[in-house]
Amino acid sequence: MGLGATVGADLLAVPFPKMVFDLARAIANGQTALDRASVSTLRVLANTEFDYIPEITEVIAPGPVDTVSGVPVTGVDVTTRPGRTLPLSLLQAGLTPSFYQFTESVIEVKMSISSKVSTQSEFEFGVSVEANAGFLFASATVSSHVDYRTSNTYSYSAEGSSLLRTTLKPVPPPARIMPRFITVNTLVSPPQVTFSE
Amino acid sequence: MNLEGYRMYLITVHGGLTDEKSRDLQRFVRQCEGFILMVTRAGPIVALDEGRYSLVAGHPLVELMGPVELNPRGFAAQQLQSIMAENLSKQVEIVEPVGGDPAPTS
Repeated sequence: MGLGATVGADLLAVPFPKMVFDLARAIANGQTALDRASVSTLRVLANTEFDYIPEITEVIAPGPVDTVSGVPVTGVDVTTRPGRTLPLSLLQAGLTPSFYQFTESVIEVKMSISSKVSTQSEFEFGVSVEANAGFLFASATVSSHVDYRTSNTYSYSAEGSSLLRTTLKPVPPPARIMPRFITVNTLVSPPQVTFSE
Repeated sequence: MNLEGYRMYLITVHGGLTDEKSRDLQRFVRQCEGFILMVTRAGPIVALDEGRYSLVAGHPLVELMGPVELNPRGFAAQQLQSIMAENLSKQVEIVEPVGGDPAPTS
């Protein structure tokens, strides 16, 4: 198998579909948990009531004049009368739960593949000549040797790292979850109806 | 003090709110550099750094800790805002640095 094919196989071995699926499933689970928490908060806000006093009337009227060492220090009576209490929930009063949404998700996969092929060859050639000469004979020997040595070294390494990043942002509450307030003002004629969310 | 990461949370407690539980919880929130904005029958509404959410949410008294925000169209939104601002001002000390504008610190 060629080196290119090995690199290609390694790249294909990255479990990208599984990573995308796992991330999507984690986001879906996270979104469900966040929505549940927000709906629970909404329920608490809707069920927590308090008595709201929109108006307090203060009536200032002439009163008995007290004197301190001959100096008049007061002369009025202030009567405080709270108006009719209005039972309100925290939701009606103006507190709403925050809703969050995953807006952007990024999967980043980094792979570092390195391969190295080294070939080393050694060639050695040697000739040895020996000659002898005498009165009646002469001889010569020639010897030679050839050494050839070769070695191939292959090294291959693949390293990978992945990063999953997602962004969470607050969003307006879903329209179907938040109640719509219908106010009927019977103080005016004809009664005035206003809608607000 | 940087209040950029602060968000508003409603905290409800296990087994209903009592004075003692409310005090314990408020002390813990203050220890976590949070602020008590107001206390409702359900529990306190606090301002807390998002990074410390898990710390407070994991407190044994806490049943639910949900992020909330002010709806300006609410019936008593202005009053709620005033109450929260007043309570916050009692917990934040304004220190005026020499030769500069006042900077809020806790």
